[in-house]
Amino acid sequence: MIEQGSIAPFSGTPLLRVEGVRKRFGGVNALRGVSLEIRAGEVHALLGENGAGKSTLIKILSGVHVHDGGSIEIDGKPVSFSSPAQSRDAGVAVVYQDLSLVESLSVADNLLLGREPKTRLGFLKKRQLVAQAEAFLKSQNIPLDARAMVGSLPFAYRQMTEIAKALMGDVRLLILDEPTSALTDDEEKILFEAIRAVAARGVGVIYVTHRLNEVFRISNRVTVFRDGQNAGTFFTAQTNMRQLVGAIVGPDHAVLKADGDAPGQDTASSAGSSEKPVLELKGVSNDRLDGASLELRAGEIHGLAGLIGSGRTEILQTIFGLRSVQSGEASLDGVSLKGTDPAAAIGLGIALVPEDRHVQGLVLEHSIERNLTLPRLPYFSRLGWLQRRPASEHANAAMRRLAVKAPSASTMVKNLSGGNQQKVVFGKWNEPRPRVLLLDEPTVGVDVGAREEIYGVIRAAAAAGSGVLLVSSDLSELLQLCDRISIVVDGRITRTVARPDFCSAEDLHHLIQLSQPSEEHAA
Amino acid sequence: MTDIQSPAKAAASQPGGRSALQHLLQGDRPYMLYVAFAIMLIVFSLASPWFLSIDNFLNIGRQTTLVSIIAVGMTFVIISRQIDLSVASTLALSGMSASLAMAFVANSWVVGAVAGLGTGALIGLLNGVLTTRLEIPSFLVTLGTLSGARGLALMVTNTKPVIITNEYYFAIFGEGSVLGIPAPILWTLGVTIAGILLLHYSVYGRRVYAAGGNPTAALYSGVHIKQVTTLAFVLTGTLAGLASLILSARSHAARPDVVQGMELDVIASVILGGCSLFGGRGFVLGTLLGSLIIGTLNNGLVLLGVSSSLQLVIKGAIIVAAVAFTRR
Repeated sequence: MIEQGSIAPFSGTPLLRVEGVRKRFGGVNALRGVSLEIRAGEVHALLGENGAGKSTLIKILSGVHVHDGGSIEIDGKPVSFSSPAQSRDAGVAVVYQDLSLVESLSVADNLLLGREPKTRLGFLKKRQLVAQAEAFLKSQNIPLDARAMVGSLPFAYRQMTEIAKALMGDVRLLILDEPTSALTDDEEKILFEAIRAVAARGVGVIYVTHRLNEVFRISNRVTVFRDGQNAGTFFTAQTNMRQLVGAIVGPDHAVLKADGDAPGQDTASSAGSSEKPVLELKGVSNDRLDGASLELRAGEIHGLAGLIGSGRTEILQTIFGLRSVQSGEASLDGVSLKGTDPAAAIGLGIALVPEDRHVQGLVLEHSIERNLTLPRLPYFSRLGWLQRRPASEHANAAMRRLAVKAPSASTMVKNLSGGNQQKVVFGKWNEPRPRVLLLDEPTVGVDVGAREEIYGVIRAAAAAGSGVLLVSSDLSELLQLCDRISIVVDGRITRTVARPDFCSAEDLHHLIQLSQPSEEHAA
Repeated sequence: MTDIQSPAKAAASQPGGRSALQHLLQGDRPYMLYVAFAIMLIVFSLASPWFLSIDNFLNIGRQTTLVSIIAVGMTFVIISRQIDLSVASTLALSGMSASLAMAFVANSWVVGAVAGLGTGALIGLLNGVLTTRLEIPSFLVTLGTLSGARGLALMVTNTKPVIITNEYYFAIFGEGSVLGIPAPILWTLGVTIAGILLLHYSVYGRRVYAAGGNPTAALYSGVHIKQVTTLAFVLTGTLAGLASLILSARSHAARPDVVQGMELDVIASVILGGCSLFGGRGFVLGTLLGSLIIGTLNNGLVLLGVSSSLQLVIKGAIIVAAVAFTRR
């Protein structure tokens, strides 16, 4: 199942040649001279951790950013795109994760949106529209019903519609940015067949993903980026998972650097296994969890590692009362969490720093003070009336303690930087100390300096006795902070490992990838 | 709760901040409304010799009472990202209910008040429950109750008015006065002050802002959004009930066909007063100003002898222009 569509003879000019491309954003070197070669008819996987430079390169190829140095050639001719339209004209099409389809229209309507065949009076030629779309889908070997309503399609078919839409016009290079993150196994199979059909017609496909399993199923070659540089290009058939993981995490990660202040070490010992857990899940199931079991001790930072969509976020949401416990037992200090809602969970001492601070964490158009006091309003009130002085003192104290950089507590949150916004979200739960602090990707979109400060806040919370449950896709973050790490797969916890058993990102990456159910290519 | 100074001082010492008092007085648009109101007063004073008099201002106050009172409740509804189109029908049905209770249960102003306010509150509760529990958009729910409540009001007496004879009722809600200030204006002031306290000084008010500003974040912060929203509808319905008492006390009768289309004036006042239709922003004093601006506009145009048809056109144009000009 690996070798589909053979690679074009090596001799010819590659379809795309990226040579030593560099890109800086302010002081950050996003790309330090990366190279990539795509041949017509191949599916080329692009791997790398968050921040390795994959998306920067894609944005350069799609005309969103302009590269600072190096060269890009298509069919041997040097190109430089200053707008997405130019990139499009050169035959580059990008399919992003978030679908850009009109769900209430049919597949055909979506494919020809904005260039519908019409009569001289502006009436739509419906039959011709469907016929055009059907002819196109047939020519691309894409098994889609042109008349089907996009909103009624399973996710894989929507994704396919998106790909078909991207292929309208003369496309030479198709870039897929993590197309499978929300797909089931069956859906993935359908999508992969469609991608192979596209490649078989001579289109070059760049396939960006975090899932190593997929690389072995779909790609002909793999290129790995690390820290804005090339970390290797392999023929998929000649490589294995261990080699790829090694390339992704790099040699410096081989052993966790003996950071003198390696966190957790002391807290780990203080949180002895004899202690009673503050939070306990026993076979908790609901629509997204499938018998998750977990013990969280006071003073412990406990990581939840797994792929996106594995159920990590849902475990936190269930504990916080946003999802119900349908079977199994969840308890905090022995008190059952069945039937709690977020307000009750907060009352019990559970706090959640959610994944998306703009949507879930903050009211952007309100002041820092309003946001900081929102979850604890009863603390600042008497008989339902707000006590302004305690509220503003609380806000000012929280801002000082977390070093939120803002003119005053009445500054609107949307005017703050990402790091400072995230500190405000933390500040909502800082005082009084929660029993359990749930963190979902707490440093996404946060710059390096603020990230260290947030790590400090997390360690301080654990040191003060809170049990911290940390979801993160950033393995080095989990390594730096956690005393124990549980691996989440399909709404279940498959393994829990303690500090001595994981000391490198490579180990951790392996644990996650090897726990995947459909694993077939382990080295 | 009266501690207005300390945050004000705190903000003064920290540049870039806006104090609670500033928010109370100006919402998100500094002084814009006051300026607009002042300009309008000056223009009408110069154009009409009858405009600038205490009698005329009391007149404006009386004419805007119904809209002003209901608009205070609508401010809560709109800040929480909802809308209530049913207020005029709710007023009509509440008035029928109050007058019938006094006619058939007991001729006491208390009975009338309880019946009127209770009917308003019940319709508000229905709006709130349908919106939050069945998750039907409030635009549709209240479009339904707009029609249903009006129909009921017309049905109960087969479209006939009900005469009210209770003198206390007239005095308390309509014709009485304290220190020369007519009862309807006192009610407006009372409701506005209560609205300011509730929106700007209570925990509930904070939650209304949060529920409308970002419902998801509010949910993640433990706010019971459904309760908060439902209460805003109940508040608005109850105030529509109060408005019905004032109207029926003034005319000594309740009529089922009154104030059709008034919901538009109420919503226009709230939006003109600085509320965002997208929720999370607005202030009670702004709503009062918005209502006074619309009322003054009506009054001034009448004094200038503008035909009633042209008045409607001018009013529409000014509302759209004002909102377009002051938005964001």
